[in-house]
Amino acid sequence: MAQPTMAIPGQLLGPASKYQPGPGTHIHEANLYSSLLGTVNVTQPPKAPAPVKRLNKIVPVAAPTPAELPTISVSFSAKSKREVLPEVNNIVLCRVLRITPRQAVVAILICGETVLEAEWQGLIRVQDVRATEKDRVKIYESFRPGDIVRAEVISLGDQANYYLSTAKNELGVIMATSEAGNTMIPISWKEYRDPETGISELRKVAKPY
Amino acid sequence: MTDRRRINGPVGATFPPVFVYEGEDAVKETKKTRSRPPNAIRKMYLKTGVTPSASGSAYLEIETSAKGSGSGLKLSCTVHGPRSLPRSTPFSPHIILSTHVKYAPFATRQRRGYLRDSTERDLGTHLETALRGAIIADRWPKSGVDIIISIIEGDQDRESSKAEGDESWDMMNALSGCITVASAALADAGIDCVDTVAGGVAALVRNAADDSVSNIVIDPVPSEHEKILAACCIAYLPTRDEVTNLWFKGDLGASDMELYTSLVEKGIQASKYANRVLVECLGETVG
Repeated sequence: MAQPTMAIPGQLLGPASKYQPGPGTHIHEANLYSSLLGTVNVTQPPKAPAPVKRLNKIVPVAAPTPAELPTISVSFSAKSKREVLPEVNNIVLCRVLRITPRQAVVAILICGETVLEAEWQGLIRVQDVRATEKDRVKIYESFRPGDIVRAEVISLGDQANYYLSTAKNELGVIMATSEAGNTMIPISWKEYRDPETGISELRKVAKPY
Repeated sequence: MTDRRRINGPVGATFPPVFVYEGEDAVKETKKTRSRPPNAIRKMYLKTGVTPSASGSAYLEIETSAKGSGSGLKLSCTVHGPRSLPRSTPFSPHIILSTHVKYAPFATRQRRGYLRDSTERDLGTHLETALRGAIIADRWPKSGVDIIISIIEGDQDRESSKAEGDESWDMMNALSGCITVASAALADAGIDCVDTVAGGVAALVRNAADDSVSNIVIDPVPSEHEKILAACCIAYLPTRDEVTNLWFKGDLGASDMELYTSLVEKGIQASKYANRVLVECLGETVG
């Protein structure tokens, strides 16, 4: 069956036995329907199976799709950007707003590759800062207000906050300013140094890619 | 010496204006009758993306029924979001819809205030029910979306000053327009929907005062009929064959189930016609 190039919400795309549902589609009574207004894409299964989640995000390495079915998806028309929400396992960039002994409150700025339109708040709890020696972690030795942090979403959290974690080598502070106000450079996994004053400060430093 | 402090009348004598009396016939001629067949809706114009600052928007216009005096329906809809909820709201695993319908102060014969009155809140509630059945709400956890509709022209005949056919019938037409335009704006905003929902109205009307025969028309214009006995507004999903909202008004004999069913059927037919316009409009948006 030849696929139409565009779809409107509710348009029949094909039977669920022939295609895998991709982003922008839904299944109703064993048939695949579009749920967005946009263009239809059919991706043949590559060696590594195609991500089933939304394509405009960094997708976890998990979710291997065993079937060999091609994935059909509807991508929203490119003329305008669409709002994106942080999802569990997404890598986000955020700015630290304030710290307490138990947690750091951050504002999520970028989710995956997309700059967010809306302001979403996140929380890095003290036990989620690093993977080892969790009981010795002190928030003020890991983050300071104003730092830019790369973190992973671990939960949709409570009413207001997403719960984030930096418990991986490549997660943590990627940009920091010193108390003197200069941009600092990372010198070890837990230290940033101000190049002008030479004073070093403690941070949970992200390993460079 | 003339009094310069006040505005003086003309010096000479004047006469009050006398208007030419046109006779009974001229008045009678202005009484409108329905010119389309009973199973046809009025022409409709729909366009998406009219408000650049909103996430999604649409504009709907329904042509004026009669020559000259009538005013059609003009709706503008904006969709804002999905965006984060205020901090006070509890956790929600799905999107929270909030709908606002507002008549412009000049939209109807009776001037409207700036605050929403009960009919506008009523329209908003009905609209929310109609849309909630079409949206896939769990694709957007922890977020809210605002749907705001301004009724710019309220589909009322400006000439008939008498209170024939009270405003409740106009609300029906307004609601069906609101549903169609909101559906287009939601699709434009990229919010997941199971189908394109569209609104339709059917009414049981009586055309002459002495006539005991009543018949069913779709997309009724109150000023074109002598009396509207009952009306129903339907929000319908065509590919799923589901009704998401049903609003019935008027008095029908409780015994006559046939009449209820056929009124609903005609309402569905009207919304199918509206949906055709909607599909075409969305096709233009993508292409």
